[in-house]
Amino acid sequence: MASPTTQIANPALAEASPGNRTGRALLLAGRLVLGGIFVYAAYAKLHFGGAWHLQDYHFFFAMAINSYNMLPLPVVQGMARVLPWFELGLGALLILGVGLRWVSSAVTLLLLVFMAALTRAAMLGLEINCGCFGYSSQKPTTELFHDSGLLILGLAVTIGAFLTQRARRSPA
Amino acid sequence: MSDGLKRFSVMWLALALFALVLTGPLWGQSRVTPGGLTTAKSLGSREAPITIEVFADYQCPQCRLFYETVTRQLIDNYVSTGKVYLVHRDFPLSMHTYSHQAAHWLNAAAAAGFYTTVEQALYDKQDDWAPTGKIEPILAGVLSPAEMKKVRLVESTQGAQLDAAVASDMALGNTKHVDGTPTIFVSHRGQVTQLPTGGVNYALLKQYLDYLLQH
Repeated sequence: MASPTTQIANPALAEASPGNRTGRALLLAGRLVLGGIFVYAAYAKLHFGGAWHLQDYHFFFAMAINSYNMLPLPVVQGMARVLPWFELGLGALLILGVGLRWVSSAVTLLLLVFMAALTRAAMLGLEINCGCFGYSSQKPTTELFHDSGLLILGLAVTIGAFLTQRARRSPA
Repeated sequence: MSDGLKRFSVMWLALALFALVLTGPLWGQSRVTPGGLTTAKSLGSREAPITIEVFADYQCPQCRLFYETVTRQLIDNYVSTGKVYLVHRDFPLSMHTYSHQAAHWLNAAAAAGFYTTVEQALYDKQDDWAPTGKIEPILAGVLSPAEMKKVRLVESTQGAQLDAAVASDMALGNTKHVDGTPTIFVSHRGQVTQLPTGGVNYALLKQYLDYLLQH
């Protein structure tokens, strides 16, 4: 059982407790924003240049992934086909609040992978378009800054989701 | 006819002859225009179903990589077979000291009819001229003396038009929001799409072109 001192020293726990409306509102806002960003990221990969590219989006995204010089071509092509739909699915689930703990964990993990790739590209000085939000994306260094914010948001939503679940399970 | 009039006539005749001799090499040489130079820097048939427009900087290492790993195969397999019309656009970046000069000489060579030879030489010998800006010897190394004479003539007599052509390409690039090189636009059935920077390799481009040709 947590003492009052422990609760004050752990504001995240206090905010996410079911009785705290502010905590719930923050969690809702966080997952809506993060989900919206993921849905937009998928949309930008499927709709660009003023048209939908549902049939040929993967060619462009494969070129964007390939610019990182990290993965063999078959993996690049597989990722290019799947990732936009994966992002769309994660974004939609976040917005709907379905399986929030696992979805937000997956989002956070995905953001960590993106950040690792961006950090590597920035360290190598690669002059590439990151491909994060379609092909009007920023250079890796700029996008790294944006993704840091998203990662913090992803972590906050994940922690909030787990704390909320734990508080629900434990007796009041 | 008075002596004065005779002397005047002879003087003008001599002047006219002198001017004729001086400008002799320019006979038959058409005036360079940005549009004419674009045609001179394009490969393949205008009627090809796909047009690929490449904004490039001759001093940029990524452009050399793209030329050596993609463009050559593209020319062999798609341009020469009438499937792709390949258009070169000059986009010398300010960060590269001699890229504008290289574009200037490339345009002179294109106007004289030696675009492909000089483009290849500029990329192949990039490490030689990029640190020093000694571009003319690179051209002289791949062209015959007679061909080099033609290029030098265009360069010396139509330098301003060559620079205007480079400026015209750059202005076009700016309207298309080009901010790095190589930037590649693919046009097919009236739709123009920019390819992502940095990741275009031949295998991926081939798949995309084959897809477009089937649709």
